[in-house]
Amino acid sequence: MATLELIDIAKRFTKKVWGVKKMDLEVEEKEFIVLLGPSGCGKTTTMRMIAGLEEVTRGTILLDGKDITDIPPRDRGISMVFQNYAIWPHMSVYENIAFSLKLKKMPGAEIKQRVQETADMVKIGELLKRLPGQLSGGQQQRVALARALAVRPRLFLMDEPLSNLDAKLRVIMRTELKAIHQQTEATSIFVTHDQSEAMSMADRIVIMKDGEIVQIGSPDDVYFRSSNMFVAGFIGTPPSNFFTVKCEFKKEKISLKHSHFTLEIDSIGIEELKKYSGKEIVLGVRPEDLLVVADDKAVFTEEVLVVEPQGSHQVVALNLSETIVKMIVSAETKVNPGDKIGLGFNIKRIHFFDKETENRIPLISEA
Amino acid sequence: MRPDLPAAFLSGYMMTITKDQLSLSKETRKKMVPYLLIAPVVIYYSMFWLFPVLNAIIESFKDVDGIWTFGNYIHIFKDPVFYEALSNTAFIVIFSVTIEFILAFGLALLINKKFRGSSMFLFLAMIPMSLPAVAVGAMWSSGLATRGWLNSFLMNFGFIDDASKILFLAGGKMSTMLLIIIIDAWTVIPFVMIILLAGLQGVGEDVREAGAIFGGTKFQILRKITIPMLKPTITTAMILRIISAIQIWLIIVLLYGFNRLPVLLEQVVLNYDQLGAEYFERIGLALSVVVAIIVSAAAIFYLKVSGSFEKEEKQDE
Amino acid sequence: MNNVVKRQLRRSAKRTSLYIVLVGIAFIIIFPVFFLFSFSFMSDYETYSEWPKPLVPSFKANFMIDKNTEGYHLFIFNKSEDGFMPFGPLVFANNEKDIDSLRKFIKLQSNCKISSQKIVEYLKVVDNNSRVEFSIKKDLLANYILFFKVVNGAPKAVLNSLMVAGATILISLSIGGLGGYAFARYFFKGKNILKLSVLFVRMFPAVSLAIPMVIILAKMGLYDQPLGLSLVYSVGQISMSIWITASVFMSIPVSLEEAAMIFGTSKVGAFWHVTLPLALPGLAACAMYSFIGSWNEVIAAVVLTQFNPTFPVVVYKALVGSQGQINLITAGSVAQALPAIIFTLIIRKYIIQMWGGVKV
Repeated sequence: MATLELIDIAKRFTKKVWGVKKMDLEVEEKEFIVLLGPSGCGKTTTMRMIAGLEEVTRGTILLDGKDITDIPPRDRGISMVFQNYAIWPHMSVYENIAFSLKLKKMPGAEIKQRVQETADMVKIGELLKRLPGQLSGGQQQRVALARALAVRPRLFLMDEPLSNLDAKLRVIMRTELKAIHQQTEATSIFVTHDQSEAMSMADRIVIMKDGEIVQIGSPDDVYFRSSNMFVAGFIGTPPSNFFTVKCEFKKEKISLKHSHFTLEIDSIGIEELKKYSGKEIVLGVRPEDLLVVADDKAVFTEEVLVVEPQGSHQVVALNLSETIVKMIVSAETKVNPGDKIGLGFNIKRIHFFDKETENRIPLISEA
Repeated sequence: MRPDLPAAFLSGYMMTITKDQLSLSKETRKKMVPYLLIAPVVIYYSMFWLFPVLNAIIESFKDVDGIWTFGNYIHIFKDPVFYEALSNTAFIVIFSVTIEFILAFGLALLINKKFRGSSMFLFLAMIPMSLPAVAVGAMWSSGLATRGWLNSFLMNFGFIDDASKILFLAGGKMSTMLLIIIIDAWTVIPFVMIILLAGLQGVGEDVREAGAIFGGTKFQILRKITIPMLKPTITTAMILRIISAIQIWLIIVLLYGFNRLPVLLEQVVLNYDQLGAEYFERIGLALSVVVAIIVSAAAIFYLKVSGSFEKEEKQDE
Repeated sequence: MNNVVKRQLRRSAKRTSLYIVLVGIAFIIIFPVFFLFSFSFMSDYETYSEWPKPLVPSFKANFMIDKNTEGYHLFIFNKSEDGFMPFGPLVFANNEKDIDSLRKFIKLQSNCKISSQKIVEYLKVVDNNSRVEFSIKKDLLANYILFFKVVNGAPKAVLNSLMVAGATILISLSIGGLGGYAFARYFFKGKNILKLSVLFVRMFPAVSLAIPMVIILAKMGLYDQPLGLSLVYSVGQISMSIWITASVFMSIPVSLEEAAMIFGTSKVGAFWHVTLPLALPGLAACAMYSFIGSWNEVIAAVVLTQFNPTFPVVVYKALVGSQGQINLITAGSVAQALPAIIFTLIIRKYIIQMWGGVKV
């Protein structure tokens, strides 16, 4: 159980290519942090720098306040689960798990006990004598997990550990990993590009893009208070819809003019938008915040393009001047392609973004 | 240094510098690792390849008394046997490489399917290339002798009788070269076939199936999909073959002795090892330089024609 | 229905023709090799006195002794003539000297061992019955034994060849292995050029290298020494080792090493605990490939040896100098070919993999 601090770390691969441009992060004890971002955003590089597999070009890494930047991986008190598991095919499951314990010169009886304990925890207690080649993908994954847990690490790193599993197993392992974390209370860092994985597991999510942090926050923070259009567009399935509107203040009301519709809302609580009066801003609307309403209350009506049933709900896609708008409607609502439906907004949950900087326009009411 | 700077700030400043320098040197050290690993190879090649090659070139321009001369090369280029050896070698290279490639490619296409006993078959195919050259020589000289196993076989099965024994080794120059080409084909076709098979398996069934789905005929698929995708493999196979075909000599000497069908490398060995005078040793040395140049030129020429250099440049970008 | 039958017919016809082609190729490959082996088991008599020569060596020889007023006569069964033919001394008597030379003659000519007493016993039968027929089991390996006895320095040459091969494996695997690891795991300037030149060095005519090496090795005191020869062989074998080991190391994921580094060991330790054990079969294959290359090589060995020839040189000289009977030489050739063939059998998978991976 430890705290981790990344101070201004950066990684340059070649003269022009930066893996990580700048990264500052403080991880608290027992925290489960998820590094999330599209491929090439630097999340894996960050993790590899924490592990010591990649040297930092700049910056300092502190573990429990101690500088580990130049310490070799083996002395960092960390352990890691690799994306392709990286369990050693020439060693039995037991030998895989016991490897680091043996190198630490732990007494034999203790090793045996520790290996059995850990294996039982991840439900492979029966497989200790097997070779990895005889195991299924899910079992191999558990071996990798057991090997990492057996060390009792201060810091537990996971590099897309679930991405090679099939969809069903992935969901099961998610729950188990979370349970294991609650049990071991090891400070954990988890890298993934799967935002639903991130949302379901993280205490805090670190969203990265192009080698930099875009937002750090709880799952609720990044979902409901996305700090910019990138996050709003990256988090959520389907992601947020964006509408570019012209903002005009009229006494108590604000009118937001889109090429297809005009939305008038109360300006109370959103006075911050005043300085954008007469300028264009971007509305961010989550698919579940678009509502099917009666035509007379509709902000605009549009023809349904595609309906994607999901069982519990359905995703309806509309074509609004060459942009696809997606919304979530309940399974009971009857919609068919070609239907004209009226749409309204859940006004309280609309987000406003600066068109130039793409950053969220902060509102006092949220604070 | 400004005296009014706080000491703590100063020491922090100093620390950053030393640490920066440290991490820099560490990074350079890390960058050196591959060069260190590759260094023994480079050193070995400079000592036991580059040095002897340069040495050979220098020595080939000296006479027995160590005086600089073009004499060795003049001797070679004035010798009609050299030109005969050159044309014989060229003939054998052109015909054997072409025939071998066509046959090997055809066979590779034919058997590029999963079949039972493929592993055993591949082993069989590797036997000729794993046989030592002298064993190949013994095999064919015992077979092609007038009373060898080939005639015995034909007689035992009644194809010929004692009077119509075939005098395999007594033919004229053309049939001698033909025989050498056939024997060479026996030795290397399986090898070329294996390289092409490995390449074909790399091309994969799916691309050809895709070609078939989009309406290509078998021949079109071969010409437009398989052969272009196989090009690197074909280049490899061809270059290996051309280079080793230029160096043919042992089988000829084992079957016919020296000077019956002069080829380049045979002349090198003849001059160097058989004539037993230092004068001829130097001729052999110079001749070996000539052969090396011919081999290198052929390799570079083929690489150039096949466009491998362009690919190399593209990869470097 | 009709279509289904047609399709099945066509498919089975395709399969059949595939197998016919395969069998045809296999036959053409095996045909001469079979005779090489076959000859190596034949006695001098089979090789030189039967015409056409037998296709398979016999496992025994049939003899007949009869007697007339001049003395005893020995006959041997000749398969091509389908009858007994006179064999050996035209006439011999029942005395120790004659019988001993007869025994030696039988052994030399027909590879059959018979004791003097046995001959005397047969002669007694002849005295009673006027003739006797008997057969003796042929000593199949006689040519092999004789080759090593007759051909000058053959056993020593085998030893030399083994030493050369051993040293070549050591040099090429250690130097080439390091290079292969660098090629597999790192990016560095000039990697592609180096990989190509490594291949080119291998293609360079061995003799063009061997001749200048004579002087260099003489200066180093290594001329006509196994180590000197292996230094020359290693030039070609190092590049082969680089290509093979590079593909071996590339097949081992880097993350296995990284995992070892995280779980308590250094970069070197990770190589030792993880990469090396996993690469071992591939490295063994590489060693065998080096062995085959070094064991089979002739021309550099001809140039670079004098009193310490390698085994292929001995066979080569025997063949060129017609120093022995063809059945003897084939025995020498088979003895030389067998290790290469066996190693090829073991590493055939790697050979395909390797050549599949070599791209110029």
